[in-house]
Amino acid sequence: MDGYFYAVLIVGLLSTIICVVAGIMKKAPNDVTILSVAAVELVLLVYLVGSIIRVAMGEKIAGEPWEFWGYIITALILPVVAVYWSILERTRWSNFVMGAVGVTALVMAARMNQI
Amino acid sequence: MTVETTGKKNPDTRNTGPGRLLIAVYAVFAISATARAGYQILTKFSDAPLAHILSAFAAVVYIVATVSLAKPGRTWFKVSLAAVLVEMVGVVVVGAISLFDPVAFPHDTVWSLFGRGYGFVPLILPVLGLLWLYRRRPARLPQ
Repeated sequence: MDGYFYAVLIVGLLSTIICVVAGIMKKAPNDVTILSVAAVELVLLVYLVGSIIRVAMGEKIAGEPWEFWGYIITALILPVVAVYWSILERTRWSNFVMGAVGVTALVMAARMNQI
Repeated sequence: MTVETTGKKNPDTRNTGPGRLLIAVYAVFAISATARAGYQILTKFSDAPLAHILSAFAAVVYIVATVSLAKPGRTWFKVSLAAVLVEMVGVVVVGAISLFDPVAFPHDTVWSLFGRGYGFVPLILPVLGLLWLYRRRPARLPQ
């Protein structure tokens, strides 16, 4: 487990907690919940750039390279889709959808660390 | 997007409110199960053909469930119901077999050990899916 994983862990969990609490409080998606998902996206982007630099420096990915890149690209797409969806239907359920992003990103980051 | 998908006004849809969360989780499982099955079949199919065919089957079930839940109308409701029921039977049967006879499933699938590798979400998901389908069943809707 490296620094990137812990960054995703903290930001992902925070984002999930914010979104789920907002959902339980019956709030529609607002700036706070959308920004928390944006923060997850940002951390993942840093992870992506950091990984590209590490590979460019000659570091080897432990597992299958395309599996790793597949994971990180999928993880990057998820927050975008969730936010897009939450704008289409602004109900409290969209907050739960966005809450799922943080946990999913977390699981995927854990898997990326194994690879 | 057609007029049909304007959400709350048309009760014959399942892609609104809690249904959106359900579809989102199904979509994540559809993607991850497809990727995993594709990877297993391409790289190590001969190791355990049965487990890998099962992975592919699970992936198809998740894809069908995701698409059918997102579509309005009675026909898609039936497709959803079938997919979620198949998923439930699959996770229970595969989970039980993998528990009592680990030799039969030496390779993990999404449904092994009742989806333990996925935080038991595969076991909870069909239950929530059936509850949601029950609440939005066509019989309750005005004709």
